[in-house]
Amino acid sequence: MVFAGILLVGRVQNPDNIRPADVLATTTLGVFLAVLLLAALYLLTGAIQSPDSALFEATTGITTTALSVIDPRDLGYGLRFLRASSQWIGGFAALLTGIIVLPFFGFGREFTDRSNSANHRPLVPDKWSGVRNIALLYIPCTVLVWFGYMLARKAPFEAALLAMSTLSTGGFTNSPTEFADPAVQWVAIAGMILAGSSLVTIWHLVRGGGRPHRQTGLMLYLGLHGVGVLLLALWATGPDLTGLRQGLFVVAASISTTGFPMSVPGNWAPAAPVLLLLLISVGAMSGSAGGGLQVRQHRVLMKLAMREMARQLHPRAVLKVRLAGRIAREETLRQIVVLQFLFVAVVFATALLVAVLGLDLVGALSAAIHATATAGPVRTLSGEIVDPINWPSSVRMALLPAMIFGRLSIYPAVLAIAALVRIVGNRIRPRRRYLARRHRASS
Amino acid sequence: MSFFETKWETTTGHVAGIALMFVAVGMFASAVLEALGGTHGASILLAAVLTLVPGASLWLFTRPGQVDRATVFNAVAGTWLVVSAFGALPYLFAGTFQRSGITLPVVFADALFESVSGYSCTGSTIFGSHNLISDQGPGILMYRQFTQWIGGMGIVVLVVTVLPALRASGLGLIGAEAPGAGGDRLAPRMAQTARRFWYLYAGLTALIAVALFAVGMSPFDAVAHAFTTASTGGFSTRDASIGYWDSVAVEMVIMIGLVLGAASFTLHSRTLSSHRPVHLEDPEFRAYIWLLTGSTVLVTLLLCSEGMGPTNALRAAVFNVVTLGTSGGFGNATGPGTNGDFVTWAAGPQMVLLVLLVSGGCTGSTSGGVKVMRLVVGLSHARRTIRSIRYPRAVLLVRHGGSTMAEPLVERIAGFMIIFGILVVSGTLVVAALGTDLVTAFSGVIGSLGNMGPALNKAGPTASFVDGFATPARLVLALLMLIGRLELFPMLLMLVTPYRTLQERFDFHRA
Repeated sequence: MVFAGILLVGRVQNPDNIRPADVLATTTLGVFLAVLLLAALYLLTGAIQSPDSALFEATTGITTTALSVIDPRDLGYGLRFLRASSQWIGGFAALLTGIIVLPFFGFGREFTDRSNSANHRPLVPDKWSGVRNIALLYIPCTVLVWFGYMLARKAPFEAALLAMSTLSTGGFTNSPTEFADPAVQWVAIAGMILAGSSLVTIWHLVRGGGRPHRQTGLMLYLGLHGVGVLLLALWATGPDLTGLRQGLFVVAASISTTGFPMSVPGNWAPAAPVLLLLLISVGAMSGSAGGGLQVRQHRVLMKLAMREMARQLHPRAVLKVRLAGRIAREETLRQIVVLQFLFVAVVFATALLVAVLGLDLVGALSAAIHATATAGPVRTLSGEIVDPINWPSSVRMALLPAMIFGRLSIYPAVLAIAALVRIVGNRIRPRRRYLARRHRASS
Repeated sequence: MSFFETKWETTTGHVAGIALMFVAVGMFASAVLEALGGTHGASILLAAVLTLVPGASLWLFTRPGQVDRATVFNAVAGTWLVVSAFGALPYLFAGTFQRSGITLPVVFADALFESVSGYSCTGSTIFGSHNLISDQGPGILMYRQFTQWIGGMGIVVLVVTVLPALRASGLGLIGAEAPGAGGDRLAPRMAQTARRFWYLYAGLTALIAVALFAVGMSPFDAVAHAFTTASTGGFSTRDASIGYWDSVAVEMVIMIGLVLGAASFTLHSRTLSSHRPVHLEDPEFRAYIWLLTGSTVLVTLLLCSEGMGPTNALRAAVFNVVTLGTSGGFGNATGPGTNGDFVTWAAGPQMVLLVLLVSGGCTGSTSGGVKVMRLVVGLSHARRTIRSIRYPRAVLLVRHGGSTMAEPLVERIAGFMIIFGILVVSGTLVVAALGTDLVTAFSGVIGSLGNMGPALNKAGPTASFVDGFATPARLVLALLMLIGRLELFPMLLMLVTPYRTLQERFDFHRA
């Protein structure tokens, strides 16, 4: 693979003009190649025997979706590290996509933290400084959570793997009893909330450029946890301290889309699984490694809904949408609306496909939402965790596109498919013309 | 000026008053039918009188006032609420929903649910194995069908036909009530437009009634089903719905009627005036037919793959696709677990039906749902947005058929879809919190908001909504039916006018 990469770099000439859409399509291609590389490694090392399982495990790793089909206890140290680091790299790639690639080449440029002022250094003054700053936050945060797990009496190696899965919102675990200790649960909760927070916000707070209570996005994100815990206590976990802690764990795992598994005993009310699916769809803050449609997009959609109501009463009014003190461009608003449309379309299409391939309705809808939001684990209506190894292989394969679409915030994947269709079309058309000419000549 | 000559200026009151008088006429007719063949004639007559008196009073003692947009929303939503509430009286007085072991508030809630489901043309019902349709008299049954017929074209459209005082405001009223992106003018005057809509509607109903009679229904059943087919409502006079007849011919007539009802009435009018069918020239209708055809083929194949015979699969698929795709909501299952009972199908075909629950029919028709035009424009909008990332400097437009869509209209459609999504998500959570499982809650909320009728799981074509939803959940669904029937905004913004009035009277905003 490395040899092929070197060969490719040596043979291919840099284009003179790189268009934004090409960057986005290349991002998708990069993720796709990383998945293939990882799957090949799993197969070559014998960690996984079947190609479809290897591809599924690799995709869930790179896309930070916590739907594993292997038992990590059967793996050696190297493979376990590889498995956790695939999520960590996937999380870093998600941060780069969300904070640099999409705003610079796609949408939401006005929300990028770029402006320099006397008392504030932005996170992304330019692309390369942005990459450096993101790494400067991502690595220390991972180390911090690693220390946290070690303080909670985890072995250093296990703690490192868990920290990588936590900060990337990946959700891979080392054993089924990983979170039996309440101290580990508390560290995981803190890590998941941190991982689902916007790096832009964290940068502001770390650099002293803002106060937490004035960050509306952060307050909404934390508030969502509070509401989630209260409702889950009402509908599933119970109001005692253990129940609240378990509820907070499940809610943080859902909102941050980390998906660490936590079995919650007791009777689940019908609304509990609906609540969790809703929290997973809402997802983490924009500018984090978390998936879902993300909090900022929901804020924009709510504001657009209010604007539409106001426009019904005052059709000629000029109404702008403001977010974080900035006026959002109409183009960005359109792109966010279409993102929601595409998100729902991907969920429905995936649910339809996996339903046809053998899952029941609840399972199909849950699996589709989890895959598109890059979250796990899928639960039954009574709250039990579903092991994806029990799904047919075709169902697991059908979920792969949704994971990649979700991890890349949909647009880059759509542009990559459009580019692929165009390339194939251009290849087909000359041949069609040639065939038609030959047919005419012969007749 | 004496008290009786004083007229209170309220558009909402005036429109609601006339609407109540129309409803009362339907109740009187039902009372006559019930007197001829049932036992509750006096009860329905009492309901008719109790509806007529406030209706006539409102009509006599009020006059339409200022008609700005907020007032239009208030008038339309207020009228629908009042009509739905009074519409429950015949069920209440006839004791239709009284069962052993349930309290009066539940009986009232059930009557209100059936009334709202009728007037909003949803077709979800309280009737079931505990409360058979076949036990009801002809008056109640015909009244139930009539509620859907009058709600199909729209109560306010009916009011506009007889209310010249509204003048240009009529378009606003029709636009606020009509399904789709706005009211189309068929004639220079709004009253004429409204009248033409009703003539077309009545003509279509008569045609369906004759066709149903010709294929073997009794005159009573033919007229009753024509009412709910043209209105794409879905109520039936039989417990097994259309499955009672188990006849391909009856199902064919119903399906053709539903497709015509779910097509734009403007297209029907243009077809009649130009003496040639113009339906296939309309991009929305073409997309709609493609959607129904594609879904039918897909569901048939999936049912065949599950082991159902091809003929049975095609029959079950085409009927259920058309009835849900048009927001009709009839069932052709001859009983629970039979071919037409789609809740017993595998998950694949049910997912296709779930998509159809969202899509609905064409704009300007009697059907519900998001409407095909909005979906087509949404797709075009998505395509434009993706292309704009590829070509950032290009001026790209949203096209529908051969024409360019104005940006405000595209934004309005996008806004509608966002609010629809918010209502579906929040509605599902609330209904689930009231004790309903995920699939029943999700499909029930989509079905209610889209005025579809049956949903999935416990709210299937052979089930009663009493089995799937608790009483408070049914009231939430009833509210969603009204919100969906009025295309969201009138119901959501109906309190703006009262708020402004209170604000002016008490000046609390300044305080």
